[in-house]
Amino acid sequence: MDYTRLDDELLISLVQQNQEEALSVLYDRYGRLVYSMAYNALQDQALAEEITQDVFLRIWNKADTFRAEQGKLVTWMTSITRYRAIDVIRRQNVRPEGNQATWIEDPGLDLPSGMDVESEVETLDSSRQIRTAMAQLPDEQRLVLSLAFFQGYTHSLIAETLGEPLGTVKTRIRLAMQKLRQLLQEKDHL
Amino acid sequence: MVQEEHVVDLLAAYALDCLDVDEKIQVDAHISECQQCRAELQTYQDIVEVLPLAMQENTPPSGLKGQILRSARQSQTRPVAQTRASWWEQLAGYLRQTAPVWGLASLVLILLLGVNNLFLWQRVNQIESHSQAPFMSVSMTGTEASPDASGLLVISRDGEHGTLIVDGLATLDPTSQYQLWLIRDGQRTNGGVFSVDQEGYGSLWISSPRPLASYASFGITVEPAGGSPGPTGEKVLGGDL
Ligand SMILES: [Zn+2]
Repeated sequence: MDYTRLDDELLISLVQQNQEEALSVLYDRYGRLVYSMAYNALQDQALAEEITQDVFLRIWNKADTFRAEQGKLVTWMTSITRYRAIDVIRRQNVRPEGNQATWIEDPGLDLPSGMDVESEVETLDSSRQIRTAMAQLPDEQRLVLSLAFFQGYTHSLIAETLGEPLGTVKTRIRLAMQKLRQLLQEKDHL
Repeated sequence: MVQEEHVVDLLAAYALDCLDVDEKIQVDAHISECQQCRAELQTYQDIVEVLPLAMQENTPPSGLKGQILRSARQSQTRPVAQTRASWWEQLAGYLRQTAPVWGLASLVLILLLGVNNLFLWQRVNQIESHSQAPFMSVSMTGTEASPDASGLLVISRDGEHGTLIVDGLATLDPTSQYQLWLIRDGQRTNGGVFSVDQEGYGSLWISSPRPLASYASFGITVEPAGGSPGPTGEKVLGGDL
């Protein structure tokens, strides 16, 4: 039985039946994405591995809590990973160096992992769009976005970390998100 | 009470979850009553959802996958749900190798007498954990007409519905299709028709009049396109719950 051709939803239902091969295929599909998410948050290989393992074990043991009608598996996984990583940062008081390049530099560079056969084209499109949009933001906006998104820093923690006034940080976050939204909406109308 | 001031300026940060706590409380209270701000918030949440697609990717260490699969095996919190056919097949295969003339009766005898062969012990353990667990998947094997075919029927946890995946079936001409039969007390009920692609792969979402778990066995035959009221063609796959 070739599981690699099954869509995410079917794989999840097989994971619910303890089909280890289904978990293996999900890892091949999303392991890199989950690991990267955790690595970008923590900037630490050992912690990123630990979180990746947690996330896949959670899928293994709690696959039945995933509801396909509420969204795509990839969204569910990245969001579990992100909150798990942020939790580690907040609880263990890890202070990763936040100024590493966490956003991709070249929008055309290699494809993102995490592709379900069904949504491949869709994923490819939205990844090109968001990468292109991200590349158009000024560096200081990309940086605050990264601290907020990956590290889960609040406005005031970002301000403290960067030594910038709170108001400046708030404005940067808002402008960055507005600009991304605007660029993605323009793309939608092309 | 709807707050008079909208919280538009805070919504982007709320979607990113980077508001300090006092502002977060303010937004929570506001959006619980303001449709307009909830809609605006959704546009930012859509952005947050695609942000991971723009991150730098890192390759996980090559050993991580094996480690995760090993931990998964150990952390198994659900009863083992390997299909009955698959352990049965493995066991039968093992017996065929070691003692080709032994039949099922000898197999039962082995189990009764007890064995200290590790492989067999593992199987026996699975059988035992199985007897307490409801069966949720059925492995289907090819008949003489299609020895290379295999299938897996996964039944939803509530036992109501299921999905069928097949592999290695012959591609049919457009006038024919495969049809799934749900069998119970000798009666065969239509479980749906499907076709397979060039590589012999197909899947079917099974809707049945009764809970799927209430059927004893499942069979697949070749029928005229659209299906028949009862099986008329050759049986290609079968399996028992
Ligand atoms: Zn409002």
